[in-house]
Parts: sequence; C-alpha cells; structure tokens
Amino acid sequence: MIAGDLIDVEVRDADGERLGYVVDLRLVLDRPPEAGAVLAGARLHGLVVSPRTRTSFLGYERTSVRAPWPIAQLLRRRHRGSFLVHWPDVASVPSLDATRRGKGAIVVLRRGFDRYDPALT
Amino acid sequence: MSTGLLPEPDQPGRVVDAELHLLDRQVLDVDGEPVCTVDDLELGAVGDDPDIDRPLAGDTTVVVTALLSGPVLGGVVGGRPDSSRRHRIAWRYVTDIGTAVHLGAHGEQFSATWVERWLRERVFSRIPGGRHDPEADE
Repeated sequence: MIAGDLIDVEVRDADGERLGYVVDLRLVLDRPPEAGAVLAGARLHGLVVSPRTRTSFLGYERTSVRAPWPIAQLLRRRHRGSFLVHWPDVASVPSLDATRRGKGAIVVLRRGFDRYDPALT
Repeated sequence: MSTGLLPEPDQPGRVVDAELHLLDRQVLDVDGEPVCTVDDLELGAVGDDPDIDRPLAGDTTVVVTALLSGPVLGGVVGGRPDSSRRHRIAWRYVTDIGTAVHLGAHGEQFSATWVERWLRERVFSRIPGGRHDPEADE
C-alpha cells in the first residue's frame, strides 16, 4: 500500500454515509529505529478527513498560521469540520483493484469511531 | 479549533503529516546533494516483506517502510504504475525531516539517481573537460 492509495479517497461511516475525503495521513515517529537507523520508525497514526474538499493547501486548517489573513480565513472556512480519525478506527481501505481503476475507492470507518482535533501542536 | 472534537492526546514521538511535511520535499544525501523528491510513501505492516503490496486497515499496525520517487502518481487514464517502476529509499536511511528530507547515505547507492549517473558516465564524461570539476580548483 502507498500513501497515494489513501489520500484524496472518499470516507464513509459504517452506515455508508459520506463523511468527506482523506486530505492527509498523520504519522507519529515512535517506533523503535531499525538496525543502523537514526530516526525512529514512522507509524501511521490516523487520517485527516475534510468534509468538503479532497485537497489541503499548506495545512492552514491544522496549524496556527494566520497570515496572509484572507487566505487563512478562506482555507479555514473551506476545511471547517475537518477531523482526525485514529487508524484503529479504520475498518477498511480501498482494494488494490479499486485503486488501480481509480473508481470506487472508499475508506470505511468503524461504527462508533471518534473524531479528534486535527490541529498540529 | 473546532467544536465537538476530542482533544488529541500527546504522542510519544514527533508528529508529522505526510502531505504537509514529506510529500514533494527534496531528498538530500549525506553530503547535501539532491537525490530526488518524495513522490509517495510506501506503507507496510510491521514485519511484512517490503515486496508485499496489500491494503491494510486499522487492525494492523502500519509503518512507513520507504520513500518513493518516480512514476507513482498514475497516468492520464488513472490508476497507478506497477510497484517495480518506483524508486525506493528505505525509511532507515532517513536521518531528519525539515524543509528537506535528509539521508544518512550517499545518493549514488539509490536507484533514484540512475539517470544522472548514466548521463555522467555515458555522455558528459566523453565531452572534453567533462571529467573535470572546475569548482574543485577554487
């Protein structure tokens, strides 16, 4: 699986209701480094989901950047309602066949999944 | 930021977002020489063979196994190229993530630089003066 198999993909809940699109993958560098490695391993922690758009420009909705003001306001408004869903709440991801065809690719979340604040601290 | 959202717990390691902090970043080798850009990330289950390409869901711990460069973005007709066409740089070579992604190895050992090496060895080296580095004399 590659990150591109998940980014831009439509997200639905267990009942099939559309929740938005995956705009980014949240990684946490908390895995033990491999032999000879300097940096910790990067674990896939969750998916950042935006309800309206498949794209995220410079992550304005996840950072404290407020300038230039008009652009920040516009992008924050466009991404309002974005949330982070933890990886264990992901029930299924698109099959490789759906990814290759570029159609029917859907991420389904588990029933009762939690929505977390996607802000980067 | 938003109402109705649970606060994200503190994480035991550095937090990065793939698209925001890794994708499209330039990759520099141990000497600071450019190697490629990050076009995608290879994800795998802990302990899986890197050659296994399969969808993974939340019941599996997933890690980034490699940076990918090359034709990974798919064609005009959609889909994505075969995994054999990607250039892999294993995650273990990454030493830092900043405005660029830094590696702890020389770029020549990665397949992502084969075009540059091929041109240098087969084309530029045959041009008179092509084996000479003028900056080395300064």
